[in-house]
Amino acid sequence: MARFPYGASAGVMAGLALASGAYLAARRGQQSRSDLRLWTFAKPHGDAYLKMLPDFLRRHPGVSVDIQIVAGEAVTSRLQAAFWSNLDVPDLAEVEISWAGSFFRGRLESIGFRDLTERVRRTGLWERVVQTRFAPYTTRGRIFGIPHDVHPVMLAYRRDLVEKLGIDVDALRTWDEFVEVGRRVTIPGKRFMMELPPEGLSVLEAMLFQRDGGYFDAQGNCTLDNEIAIETMRYYAPLAAGKGRIGNDLGGGQIFTRALEDGYYLFMIVPDWRTKTIEQDVPKVGGRMALAPLPAFTPGGRRTSTWGGTMIGVTKRCADPDLAWELMMHFYFNKEALAEQFRNTNILPPARDLWDHPAYDEPRPFWSNQPLGRLFANLAPQTPPQYTSPYIGLAKAKLSEALIACVRYYDRYGARGFDGFVRQQMARAAAEVRRQMRRNPYLHENA
Amino acid sequence: MKTPDALTHETTARPATRRRRPPRRDKLAPYLFVAPFLILFLVFGAYPLLKSVVLAFYITSGPRDQVFVGLENFRFLLTDPDFWKAVRNTVVYTLWSLALQIPLALGLAILLNSRWVRGREFFRLAFFSPNLVGQVFVGVLFSVLFVPQYGLVNRFLHATVGAPLDTRWLSEPSLIMPALVLTSLWMYVGMHMVYFLAGLQTVERELYEAAQLDGAGNWGQFWHVTLPGIRHVLIFVVIISTIGSFQLFELPWVMLGRSPGPDGAGLTIVMYLYINGYVSGDLGYASAVGWTLALGLLVVSLLQLRLSGALRS
Repeated sequence: MARFPYGASAGVMAGLALASGAYLAARRGQQSRSDLRLWTFAKPHGDAYLKMLPDFLRRHPGVSVDIQIVAGEAVTSRLQAAFWSNLDVPDLAEVEISWAGSFFRGRLESIGFRDLTERVRRTGLWERVVQTRFAPYTTRGRIFGIPHDVHPVMLAYRRDLVEKLGIDVDALRTWDEFVEVGRRVTIPGKRFMMELPPEGLSVLEAMLFQRDGGYFDAQGNCTLDNEIAIETMRYYAPLAAGKGRIGNDLGGGQIFTRALEDGYYLFMIVPDWRTKTIEQDVPKVGGRMALAPLPAFTPGGRRTSTWGGTMIGVTKRCADPDLAWELMMHFYFNKEALAEQFRNTNILPPARDLWDHPAYDEPRPFWSNQPLGRLFANLAPQTPPQYTSPYIGLAKAKLSEALIACVRYYDRYGARGFDGFVRQQMARAAAEVRRQMRRNPYLHENA
Repeated sequence: MKTPDALTHETTARPATRRRRPPRRDKLAPYLFVAPFLILFLVFGAYPLLKSVVLAFYITSGPRDQVFVGLENFRFLLTDPDFWKAVRNTVVYTLWSLALQIPLALGLAILLNSRWVRGREFFRLAFFSPNLVGQVFVGVLFSVLFVPQYGLVNRFLHATVGAPLDTRWLSEPSLIMPALVLTSLWMYVGMHMVYFLAGLQTVERELYEAAQLDGAGNWGQFWHVTLPGIRHVLIFVVIISTIGSFQLFELPWVMLGRSPGPDGAGLTIVMYLYINGYVSGDLGYASAVGWTLALGLLVVSLLQLRLSGALRS
């Protein structure tokens, strides 16, 4: 060793560098051995796919599939970096609905996912799936993702408390009726009619979608200042501010658990996936919860909305897109397996023909023996579209600013001058989004 | 074992060998030793820096789609209300952090430098220990402490001063900045305290004795002996705190649920850069933001050095 040029230290360093380099090179070889690699951000999805995988592998001998669970937001940033560097790109990836738009910013040919439009039409998927669910994963008329879910929305409520207060839930057919009862039973600081954030967007968004509004239209134009958006804000802010408020929000996780146990909220808006979260996080209220359709904005109007979602896409780096498509179909449209998945996650699959499985009619003790699957499935066809854009993050931020401004205004001045103020705030929000969009030279290419 | 004589002999004999031309291998040696760092620096340091200067003049969508726009990114930046909101938030955070962290850290350092305090080593470790955990951990911890109704902060304030239990520290825009400043206080005071302690230990005892003889009280000693004695440490701490505060990102990003928070009340310049570069995908615009921040920091640091007289000394 002493004879090594420049002495033993340099020899040791060179040896370490060579050994670590060789180790990394060997690991890289190991990683790329699978025929298909899928990234998902949701552990329940990953667990379900692992259960469904052996059946797929039996039908495709010699094929290997690697399912990787990449935590939360990391899947999006890692995927974006992988697309940009063209390194370590998986064959398939699941993306959360609010992040999907960020992958569609550049030219169509630069998008990292494959265009699935023709396949969706050719295979009849367009007819099978609730069509509005393709909207978030479509840009400039081309579909880049298959929806994992429908995520219709219902009202969940503390049945025991609501009955005690003499509220007839079946009679709450419109939001006006709901608000009227809410103003009667709300005791600020102690009990609120519903979970309704004065600063957060979850319920405002659900109301906006319910009325066929949203951040963008099907062509990707910002719609934050259209009449629907203005009307929705005008309706929402007084529910979260001022003397007549009926809602509040303390936060998620353990705080939500305590609040629900304590009866701080009577009602809350829940998509199918959130019912499972409530079952797991607030077991104490099991058997005392129930579900009801959302009140409509007008008599006979839509009784649901939507909240959240996931898409799966095949990347352009995928060497065998046909095999990747087959895997997607197996995971997303396998009736028996999805019924089992529904029992574990409460998530309704996106294709209508899957909903006739008996699993969706099973009574759920937690939800006062209501057939949770059937309740959501009955509402699912009415699920409104949720159009997206690469600027969805900005649009959400601007809507949030407008909401806070409106809530504060209403808190301070009440209804005086409120309509004009809302209009002004929404116009400002939309103008900001459009200003940013105008900078993007690619957005209206191939439109 | 060599005798002193033998060592002297070897030392004096060396000039004779120096006259020989060093072998080619020895000439190469320094370059080879420096090469790993240099290669890594050029690839991962210098090249990205230069590339980001070029990128700042393009609108991009990822690294492949680029359109040259000249100074448009900078023009847009200077007229973007969100950028100015980020600047305002960052400056407010920096000012509050400096105003609270520095006196507190200095006070603690003076206290723990005193011979009369028992268990000084324990307290030094205790105050420094928040630095041993990362910002992400601290962010998660404090987001739990700040929750309304059931959080420890609200419970404490309710019990002591009767503050309402449902104070929404992380969702009421006007409370977000105080929550961030309080969190950073917990995190950084200990680190600054260590710097000040090191500075205090270099101030000579004789100076205090002389000041006492001249009739200086505690305040006089602090003002005329301690402060001038640790002036360079103070300038250093102020500058690194300013730079660190301007680079604030992880703490609000974690505490506000990976967003700038309601009304953008937690939006900082680096968060603005991140959102534009990695969420919206415009690396060109993000580069423009980055270079504007770098220039701003340079100006602020030079200003601080000038005001403190450090440039003259």
